[in-house]
Amino acid sequence: MIEVKNLVRTFNSGDRTIKPVNDVSFELAQGTLASIVGKSGSGKSTLLSLLGALDKPTSGDVVVNGVSLAKMPDRKLTEYRRRDIGFVFQQFNLIPNLSAVDNVMLPMEFAGLRRAARLQRARELLEQVQLDPEKHGRRINRLSGGEQQRVAIARALANEPKLILADEPTGNLDEQTGDHIIELLSSLRREHNTTILVVTHDRALANKTDRRFRLQQGKLTEEPVRAKAVAGAPA
Amino acid sequence: MSVLARSVGNAFRNKVRTAAVVAVLAVAIGLALAMLVANQAVGAKVQELNASVGTVLTVNPAGGQGFEGGGEPLTANQAATAAAVPNVSAVVGTSSLRLRNATEAAAQTAAGGQGGPGGQGGPGGQGGPGGQAAATLTTSLTAAVDAGTLGNRNQASGTTGTTQPVRSLPITATGVGAEVDTAGKALNITEGTGLGDYSAESTNALLGTTLAAKNNLAIGSTFTINDQTYTVAGLFDAGTTFGNNAAYLTLPTAQALAGVPGELSSMIVTVDSLENVDTAKTALQAALGTDAADVTQGQNLETAVSSLGSVKNISFIAFIAALGTAGLIILLIMVMLVRERRREIGVLKAIGAPNRTIGLQFVLEALVLAALGSAAGAIIASFASGGIASALISTNTTSTTTAATTGRGAAMAGAAGGAGMPGGGAGFPGGQGGPFGGASQLLTSVTASASPGVIAGGIAAVFGVAIIGALVPALLTARIRPIEVLRGE
Ligand SMILES: Nc1ncnc2c1ncn2[C@@H]1O[C@H](COP(=O)(O)OP(=O)(O)O)[C@@H](O)[C@H]1O
Ligand SMILES: [Mg+2]
Repeated sequence: MIEVKNLVRTFNSGDRTIKPVNDVSFELAQGTLASIVGKSGSGKSTLLSLLGALDKPTSGDVVVNGVSLAKMPDRKLTEYRRRDIGFVFQQFNLIPNLSAVDNVMLPMEFAGLRRAARLQRARELLEQVQLDPEKHGRRINRLSGGEQQRVAIARALANEPKLILADEPTGNLDEQTGDHIIELLSSLRREHNTTILVVTHDRALANKTDRRFRLQQGKLTEEPVRAKAVAGAPA
Repeated sequence: MSVLARSVGNAFRNKVRTAAVVAVLAVAIGLALAMLVANQAVGAKVQELNASVGTVLTVNPAGGQGFEGGGEPLTANQAATAAAVPNVSAVVGTSSLRLRNATEAAAQTAAGGQGGPGGQGGPGGQGGPGGQAAATLTTSLTAAVDAGTLGNRNQASGTTGTTQPVRSLPITATGVGAEVDTAGKALNITEGTGLGDYSAESTNALLGTTLAAKNNLAIGSTFTINDQTYTVAGLFDAGTTFGNNAAYLTLPTAQALAGVPGELSSMIVTVDSLENVDTAKTALQAALGTDAADVTQGQNLETAVSSLGSVKNISFIAFIAALGTAGLIILLIMVMLVRERRREIGVLKAIGAPNRTIGLQFVLEALVLAALGSAAGAIIASFASGGIASALISTNTTSTTTAATTGRGAAMAGAAGGAGMPGGGAGFPGGQGGPFGGASQLLTSVTASASPGVIAGGIAAVFGVAIIGALVPALLTARIRPIEVLRGE
């Protein structure tokens, strides 16, 4: 259960103040697959970074299972990011000189998992996201964009987080790979009751989610989701 | 993949840059290690010098110091008085003779004594001051040091200057009451035997190696002093050119030759331990009376020790400076790396890396660079130590020339013309060994003491500064916020 309460994030750029997130409130029950749509620059990434405790809000609060992020000390926030959140970044943000497996093992290392256990789980996750086993040991900078995206998703799943925040996870992928990613996220929700919040431009993806939000000039509104029967059809 | 493996990997991420950084670090670390080795070697040398001659006091007739000539000679009674002073463990009387080659002396008398050997010899001048203290006798021996080769201090016998008249220096002959040189050090007899009973007259003598070689004398050969024949019983090596241009007789022999039985030119007083030297010196001076005797501690040694001491200080400062430079290089390179990997640090934080893990990763990366730099630096140091130490010492010798010249000039005065030789403060040939002999011996000990222990200590210090140097950037990483991960998106 995530409760977002009157969240505000402002930036001062020169003489004017931007409010990409301006008094946003919503609640998501555990196991919900939700999407956020909106124009470029509308504040979607900013909102996600607040939910994932990468950034601190100017005001307002995020309450996760009854615990307020605003009141957490930095050390606890680190633990929150490590244990409760899986972040899939718009630009993957993998460590370029490490292999795919090493990247997926990183969050488990920070969580104190033993090496053998880390390695086994990392390989399983990479198989789940259908990365060719031959490429598990390959360095990130020698993988394609689609392959990197899959490694990024595997890394987000590493510590079995309660909430996955994915910022345009299909944006850089071809249609087929994108479809697979959507399938993967849906199955996660089914199997682990994971809450998933996806920022997307992809209407097909947005229409497959339980709930859909639109962010416009810092304000969040919920939109009805189209019938699942017509998912993938032009809207 | 552990923090350590990641750090090692990161250290080699940009191989060209790593090579450049390691090269610069190696120079700084190599310099630091070389300076440390030089410092240790010089320190050991200073200790050795202090320990070897530090307990010896020299007693000269009052007024014999300097060039104003000696007062009343010392006597056997005074030697007994000195021996009774607390903490004095030994008193050795000496009787100094100045020997001149008979042929040369005759030639000079014929030439009117002008421009004699002393003429060029230095401040001492002809028939120098302090005349009473040593008797001048004639000998069949030819000096192993030519006045003309004095500047060339490493050359034992003059092969130069054959076209100009060779001006030989007098030879120092000293009657000693024990088997020690004029500085109180045991004679290093390299061939033959000593003189046995030094308190009895004897026709045996000890010659310096170069003096013997110059005169083609070997053990059993004979030579004359004032028409008396002496047999070479042994050869000694004093380690210096001046020291080896000398002969030793038993004390009574020299006293008889000089015609002053019972009189002493000086006394060499050995104190039982280094700590007691100062008290013994005061007590000795009081016992003998300031009007009768001057008690001194080897002053040339002090000069040598203090000039070596300044080399020690210079090398220590250079060690610290080079070490600091290595630390600074590490600091700057790590600050640069932290800035460069800002976003990556943001990624690590975004996926839950604790600050200390990231900090540790950077410190370890710095240590990898320090380890590579130390390995290369140790190699550089092992080649450079000798050169650096000798450069330091030769510059230092030049810079202390003023001090050294005083000693050398006085010695030349004493040797070349000044009859006040034993009285002259610098009149001990052994003292000459300080600056020069010290330097050359130092070089051998430098090479010898580039020991693994010193290198290991130096490398430990390098790692110490590497950690300090890396700590600052590592702490900087703690300030980077996870949101950096989104920068540039
Ligand atoms: N750190 C920042 N400083 C100033 N302005 C920022 C900062 N981060 C984001 N913004 C601005 O906030 C607005 C929303 O950005 P973002 O959340 O990335 O949009 P979206 O992800 O919807 O494209 C943009 O106008 C962007 O320029
Ligand atoms: Mg965005």
